[in-house]
Amino acid sequence: MTQALVEATGVRVRYDGGPDWVGAGVDLTVAPGEFVLLLGPSGCGKSSLSLTVNGLVPHSVPAELDGVVTVAGLDTRTTPVATLAGRVGMVFQDPDAQVVTGSVLDEVCFALENLLLPAVEVERRAAEALEQVGLAGRAGDDPATLSGGGRQRLALACALAMRPEVLVLDEPTANLDPVAAYELYRHLVQVDAAVLLIEHNLDDVIAHVDRVVVLDAAGSVRLSGPPLEVFGARVEETAATGVWLPTAALAARRLAAVGVELDTTALTPEELGAALAARCSLPPLASVPRPAPPSQATAIAVRELTVRHGERTALRDVSLDVPAGDFLAIVGVNGAGKSTLAQAMAGVRTPPRGAVRIGGKDVAALAARELSDLVGFVFQNPEHQFVTGSVADELAHGLRVRGITAGERVSRLLERFDLARHRDANPFTLSHGEKRRLSVATALICEPHVLVLDEPTFGQDRSRAAELLDLLLTLNDEGRTVVIVTQDLQLVAEHARHVALLAGGRLVAHGAVERVLRDDALLEEAGLRPPPLRRAAALLAHRHPHWAGLTRLGDIA
Amino acid sequence: MTVRDSAAEQHQRLEEPRHERPESGAGQALPGRVEPPVRRPSRRAFLARLNPLAKIAATLPAMLFLLLVRDPWTPGLFAVAAVALAWAAGGVRPRWSLIVIPAALAWFTLLFALLAAEHVTAGTPVVVLGLRAGALEYGLATTLRMLALLSLALLGGVGTTGPDLVRALVQNLRVPYRFAYGALAALRFVPRFRHELEVITAAHRVRGVTGGRVRRTGRMLIPLQASAIRHAERVSLAMDARAFGAHPTRTERHRLRFGRAEVWFVTACWAVSVLLAVAVALSGQLRLLTSFHW
Repeated sequence: MTQALVEATGVRVRYDGGPDWVGAGVDLTVAPGEFVLLLGPSGCGKSSLSLTVNGLVPHSVPAELDGVVTVAGLDTRTTPVATLAGRVGMVFQDPDAQVVTGSVLDEVCFALENLLLPAVEVERRAAEALEQVGLAGRAGDDPATLSGGGRQRLALACALAMRPEVLVLDEPTANLDPVAAYELYRHLVQVDAAVLLIEHNLDDVIAHVDRVVVLDAAGSVRLSGPPLEVFGARVEETAATGVWLPTAALAARRLAAVGVELDTTALTPEELGAALAARCSLPPLASVPRPAPPSQATAIAVRELTVRHGERTALRDVSLDVPAGDFLAIVGVNGAGKSTLAQAMAGVRTPPRGAVRIGGKDVAALAARELSDLVGFVFQNPEHQFVTGSVADELAHGLRVRGITAGERVSRLLERFDLARHRDANPFTLSHGEKRRLSVATALICEPHVLVLDEPTFGQDRSRAAELLDLLLTLNDEGRTVVIVTQDLQLVAEHARHVALLAGGRLVAHGAVERVLRDDALLEEAGLRPPPLRRAAALLAHRHPHWAGLTRLGDIA
Repeated sequence: MTVRDSAAEQHQRLEEPRHERPESGAGQALPGRVEPPVRRPSRRAFLARLNPLAKIAATLPAMLFLLLVRDPWTPGLFAVAAVALAWAAGGVRPRWSLIVIPAALAWFTLLFALLAAEHVTAGTPVVVLGLRAGALEYGLATTLRMLALLSLALLGGVGTTGPDLVRALVQNLRVPYRFAYGALAALRFVPRFRHELEVITAAHRVRGVTGGRVRRTGRMLIPLQASAIRHAERVSLAMDARAFGAHPTRTERHRLRFGRAEVWFVTACWAVSVLLAVAVALSGQLRLLTSFHW
């Protein structure tokens, strides 16, 4: 066993002003060149642990560090961040919050200039790093002109330019569309440095991981081992912590439940396809189509909707009907116009007259209050919607502006959304999952028939996301029309009835989930990749034609 | 080889002749290093290549002087000189302003003429629209002064980028780099906050937020502030993680010199300013602010 490069012993963190320790004494090692994936449910202390590796905790973040972290033998408590920066490269979640300068080249040079490297060496290393992430041609551009994925690759280049011994990445693809995420990982896996990665979206990266460390909700290490073990023999232990699993592992669990044991542990969709193809026979797919919406009425009618943001046309000539009781997913790459369409559908940004009708009423002609009787909208960042000082007041607000006395209805919703014990808390002090539930509850207080949500599962662990989806499905079963914007095509495959596929502001497809998601050419044209199970199914067309339509985990039953 | 070549090429593309490599550092011969190729003559305008501080130094005395001047001739001459220099040496090509400037001149002259005080108009003949000659002259002088100050400010900023100004402040004026680069990073927050505020406004509209403008604004400030603080914290962590503040100085890839061209430019601008002022004074048209009356 080689000497560990990063060695954390008994690490926990307490932020100034917070009463509780985050993490429960985590022990973690990363060997030189090793690729370690760190998993754990929301709030278990993954991010805090990542901040201790280069000494940001305790040096830059006002927090207390208990335990010891060493990097190449240097104790992070006594070594300045600037010294550790040369050994530990960091890539954070938000690409916007990492840009400091006005040009791509200056950005990559920034750290090297801080380290006082000679100017010639700075530019040589910067050019090399930009080459490594495929941005060599963009050196003179303003980082703001790059796509989100481009800016995240730039952040990777900034870290690589320092020639670190270990790279620490905290959910680097959370803000990216699936293709941009795939691109980032394509470049990351070629790096020689050791990697410590925190990530939800495992399908594209799992094949390159040497070891997986799973934390439980309390913040102690539950499991540590090679992916084949963590997602194979011990997958049930892993799943019990509520972390995301690779789609192949989720499928294997379902297969096991119906008596199909795979010979090998599949980690990627491709391996799953191969393992399934290797079997002599497979049981029939369940393929129960989701029942059609209960009503023939149209909930939302969009007609020739064009939206301009300044010079740019964000949406061009979009027309579609959403039947009452439908579950519609709006998908597309970053910048395709998904949020714009959702916001126009809910009247958040007033559309042109006649372009959007909800229940037959022109959205453009409605006052804000009449609108919120018809449609509830949940923003990507729940905090944006909070307007009062307590959770209960937040719910009562919608009723109060209509002159309805709060009371019964508020209590009922607080119970239903598991927020009753926080009724007097300030909304800003809730956890991320609770904020999200509160924002959905506030949208529902006036009992609208249509609910529109922008990226509702963003940044949540698997059990939180599943909880929210269960809630949305229940609301949908009650007859409400649900529209979501999402990047997660597997989620769409599992739960939505219809898909609206956008590319460059145009609606390129609108139809049943099965039809749109099984059309690889169409997805590719829109800049997307087929969802993981479709990629597995693609390998089954010859061997097991009756499984070629596999789209949802629910098909395996 | 490709890496080195592309570094040199980017260097050439991004750097302008006034930016010179620091002698130390480059000289610490990295073995086999390719010397930076001979730079193509820049197509950037003369003013864009000057040290940003030189442009500010060149125009500042004239601007201060104009604050004290009350006749229309001096600001008129300075405005013409500044625009001419920006046109000839700064590559500024006014198109719509050729129509806008005269129109604005006429409009503001009338406007300021209406505001003229009794003692400047008394005893002068009525010229047009019941306005006296003294009032019109006062209006024209004020308007031209505004125009001259704007033109000089334009001249002081022609071709200056934010990063260049920061480099000049750090290198030539010894402003602490932590402060200067921190301010530069903070400037990048502005478009983000503008977008954030738009989203919050929309979100609050959806919630049917009522009450007066002040209360509505107050409510929006809370989420805006929450996200602003978080964003600032993240950016500052990202900067720390890149060794910001590691040493008392940073490597300067672009050396901004205050060289002979800058000295000549500043001297010439000052000389022209004095000449213009003297010329107006000799022709008997110069009037200076004598008291704080209008």
